[in-house]
Amino acid sequence: MEITLTHYLLLAAAIFLTGMVGFIIRRNAIVMLMCVELMLSAVNIVFAAFSRHNLDAGGHVFVLMNFAVAAAEAAIGLAILVEIFRRRRTVNVDDLKTLME
Amino acid sequence: MEGFLFWFCGSLMLLGGVMTVVQRNAVVSAVWLVFAFICASGIFALLDAPFLAVMQVLVYAGAIMVLFIFVIMMLQGPALAEERTLLKLPMWPAVAVPPMAVVVMLIGYLRGHGTTALGAAVPAGFGGPEMVAKLLLGKYIFAFEMISIVLLVALVGALALGREERALPWK
Repeated sequence: MEITLTHYLLLAAAIFLTGMVGFIIRRNAIVMLMCVELMLSAVNIVFAAFSRHNLDAGGHVFVLMNFAVAAAEAAIGLAILVEIFRRRRTVNVDDLKTLME
Repeated sequence: MEGFLFWFCGSLMLLGGVMTVVQRNAVVSAVWLVFAFICASGIFALLDAPFLAVMQVLVYAGAIMVLFIFVIMMLQGPALAEERTLLKLPMWPAVAVPPMAVVVMLIGYLRGHGTTALGAAVPAGFGGPEMVAKLLLGKYIFAFEMISIVLLVALVGALALGREERALPWK
């Protein structure tokens, strides 16, 4: 069977949804950040697939931009988590509900 | 051959993602995520994007995941011991609806709607470093400069967050 654009888009959708479900069900903030990375990776696959479909390498440039955004997000997110851990001694999001109460 | 590689890399990447979500130990989750990213690099190679495949391994599976594992090791112990329940009862709809959406999309696909071929054969050098560099430093030079500012701001922000409280200039 020929592999079409649809195959790649469905794969990306499945991976994105895996990351989304993980973000919802996990309580560990570090693992939640990793699920966000998984979702970003799915988006990168969509960029590359459409780039191949249209034979326009502009999509590749935006995947590189996405890498930079993911790196910035990981750096800032983890710095915030370390700071939260210093103050609260936990990174479990169930314990971080000061704003809710 | 291309079909086999797609199913191989795709299913392994999906497996890596699912294992990332279901493993309770954060370090094991991180290793499975590295596995998923390496499979994503294979998908990029299949999509005629060799430069992206290399950068995926260098930047994602290398640099970013090292940062994650470093922080997990730093917070090891009290922070990571207790993940009491993976799933709380009221969350079931939020977890059940996305897979159903995938099933609906799959049914639509199997009935022959919206399958789009990947298109014509690629020109020589497509997705290689030279082509990407010409776009990055030509047509998209403004976005390229802006992303460097994003990285600079992230660097300064991470430094400011990581410093000791009394060392901050405004304290």
